[in-house]
Amino acid sequence: MAKTYDYLFKLLLIGDSGVGKTCILFRFSEDAFNTTFISTIGIDFKIRTIELDNKKIKLQIWDTAGQERFRTITTAYYRGAMGIMLVYDITQEKSFENIKNWIRNIEENASADVEKMLLGNKCELHDKRQVSKERGEQLAIEYGIKFMETSAKASINVEEAFLTLASDIKAKTEKRMEANNPPKGGHQLKPMDSRTKDSWLSRCSML
Amino acid sequence: MSDDLPDQFDLVVIGTGFIESCIAAAASRVGKSVLHLDHNEYYGDVWGSFTIDGLCDRLNKETGAHSTLRNCSYTWHSSEKEPEPEAMEVQGEQKWNRETMLAKSRRFSLDLCPRILYSSGELVQLLIKSNICRYAEFRAVDHVCMRHNGEIVSVPCSRSDVFNTKTLTIVEKRLLMKFLTACNDYGEDKCNEDSLAFRGRTFLEYLQAQRVTEKISSCVMQAIAMCGPNTSFEEGMQSTQRFLGSLGRYGNTPFLFPMYGCGELPQCFCRLCAVYGGIYCLKRTVDDIGLDENTKEFVLSSAGKTVRAKNVVSAPGYPPVSRDIEMKPHISRGLFVSASPLGNEELNKGGGGVNLLRLLDAESGREAILIQLSHYTGACPEGLYIFHLTTPAVSEDPASDLVAFTSQLFDPTGAEIIFSSYFTIATQSSRSTAGEHIYYTDAPTYELDYDAAIANARCIFGKLFADAEFLPRAPDPEEIVVDGEDPSALNEHSLPEDLRAQLKDMQQATQEMDIQD
Repeated sequence: MAKTYDYLFKLLLIGDSGVGKTCILFRFSEDAFNTTFISTIGIDFKIRTIELDNKKIKLQIWDTAGQERFRTITTAYYRGAMGIMLVYDITQEKSFENIKNWIRNIEENASADVEKMLLGNKCELHDKRQVSKERGEQLAIEYGIKFMETSAKASINVEEAFLTLASDIKAKTEKRMEANNPPKGGHQLKPMDSRTKDSWLSRCSML
Repeated sequence: MSDDLPDQFDLVVIGTGFIESCIAAAASRVGKSVLHLDHNEYYGDVWGSFTIDGLCDRLNKETGAHSTLRNCSYTWHSSEKEPEPEAMEVQGEQKWNRETMLAKSRRFSLDLCPRILYSSGELVQLLIKSNICRYAEFRAVDHVCMRHNGEIVSVPCSRSDVFNTKTLTIVEKRLLMKFLTACNDYGEDKCNEDSLAFRGRTFLEYLQAQRVTEKISSCVMQAIAMCGPNTSFEEGMQSTQRFLGSLGRYGNTPFLFPMYGCGELPQCFCRLCAVYGGIYCLKRTVDDIGLDENTKEFVLSSAGKTVRAKNVVSAPGYPPVSRDIEMKPHISRGLFVSASPLGNEELNKGGGGVNLLRLLDAESGREAILIQLSHYTGACPEGLYIFHLTTPAVSEDPASDLVAFTSQLFDPTGAEIIFSSYFTIATQSSRSTAGEHIYYTDAPTYELDYDAAIANARCIFGKLFADAEFLPRAPDPEEIVVDGEDPSALNEHSLPEDLRAQLKDMQQATQEMDIQD
């Protein structure tokens, strides 16, 4: 099958439970907002293809599957991730304080050059705000990463945030390719070919 | 932390090893509510992978008579003089010693129970069938090796290997091809001459009857059929076919190794379990388990919280569940880190260095499996090699169990070895599944792939949920339509029971609306 994209980026959403990670994911991938998602349906990532500078970029965005709840995210979740959206809820001080812990978790498990971005979600809830925009900006500066306030519900900045992260990863990837140092990869398993038994012998005889 | 934990589950699984994770995923997948606990702060227990710090910590831990891991020791072998930091810079090549390795501790994924997968084996098929394969990547093994005349040589696997190998003469090549072709064709006609003539005899006798040379015999016995002098003809044929059937799928050999170590595999199953709503708590000990005689439910207390469960599955060695299970040594393990690979340049060139070698000790008739890993598996930094040595335990002293094999390969205290460690994996002396109807999973057994582990998981799952399918295919995210405008767009067979029921209700409701209209 022909490849329908130029790049494939694996992105992760990280942050406390209830900050709206899944809602951000659905706003971006389906342009839908629904607060009654059922976890049992088994969504673990969503795909959306975007275009940047005439390149088709397939974004594979992974959700935590609730494993953030008791800080039990598998180390396997971080493998191969090229970008991470760190999400907190501007109406929950605690979720903002925990960003530091999540960054430590990322440093322990993700590859060192993973591109990160900080999102303060639920910015439509002005009345309940506990974390000022300035504090978000300040924290992002501290870690040298980009920052945006978003609202999955009101559809504010979600699109922009993913495009920003994707374009930063793209720039990094292209720079690395110029340096002629393509990342190595393993095999992804594929369904069996029914004729495997013959494959060893089916080629023309040479002896 | 436990504030919003539900207090009723269909299944509580204790321990996040391979078999437990497999069962947890399977149960969650068919709509059962699952709570998955582990007293460790990491996934996998003895099936997990560790950083080098983590491994040392784990080996330092007190182990008791009921523990799966015991007889642990490790040693750093460092040269007397530490090189000056400047000297390292000048050479431009990393000097490896305790300090430099610990500084890159996180780049290591060291397995307590490493395995190699057949490319068309049970586990690969299960991962593909269940769609869990999307959570992992694999590295093809570069060479299957054997020891011949004191040297480690590559066993030709593919046709082009047979053609190009310098190990065999032209005549031997022809003989090997003829032999393997016969093995490959065997079984389609169970009544053919060979199968009648060799029924009840050994595979070795069959091999000798083909008048193969000693070298070919070694290739087949040591590396391809992986059997011993007493292996039956049928068994030898089966394992040869298993080998041949896994060829030509990924890479040059029939084998795969999981990227970043085998510890990724239980985590993949856990991820699926979580995706279907399973709840995970690590660093969580179960203090007590009782049975409510009225409801026939288990009552578990953990960190001051009481949880009720219809079923409990536990790994051995997890208190308080397995307090009374006797454990005996089962596998003796050696784990070594070296700056130089085993065998010649040919075996380790280019992107290579991921090799499999089955060793035999002629004197005792015992065998061991050596897995050499390079940085291409993501299991160690570039420039280092991991040697995993595994043999069935004959004593409580893993180092002495392994000396017959290490002596064939390297000096375990020699200059090239930087880190060495030994430990024993213990298993239940008797398989007890009855203990108050708690199901105990098996400790890791001595096997190359995961066949026995999967069989164990399947068996326990079957006893728990007799009518449910074991890990049906999880739909790809693209196949799931979320906005619900067209519920029939969902592939209903790919949904768990409860959702299937929901879907039916929705369809019924729609029909009723149609009628009203």
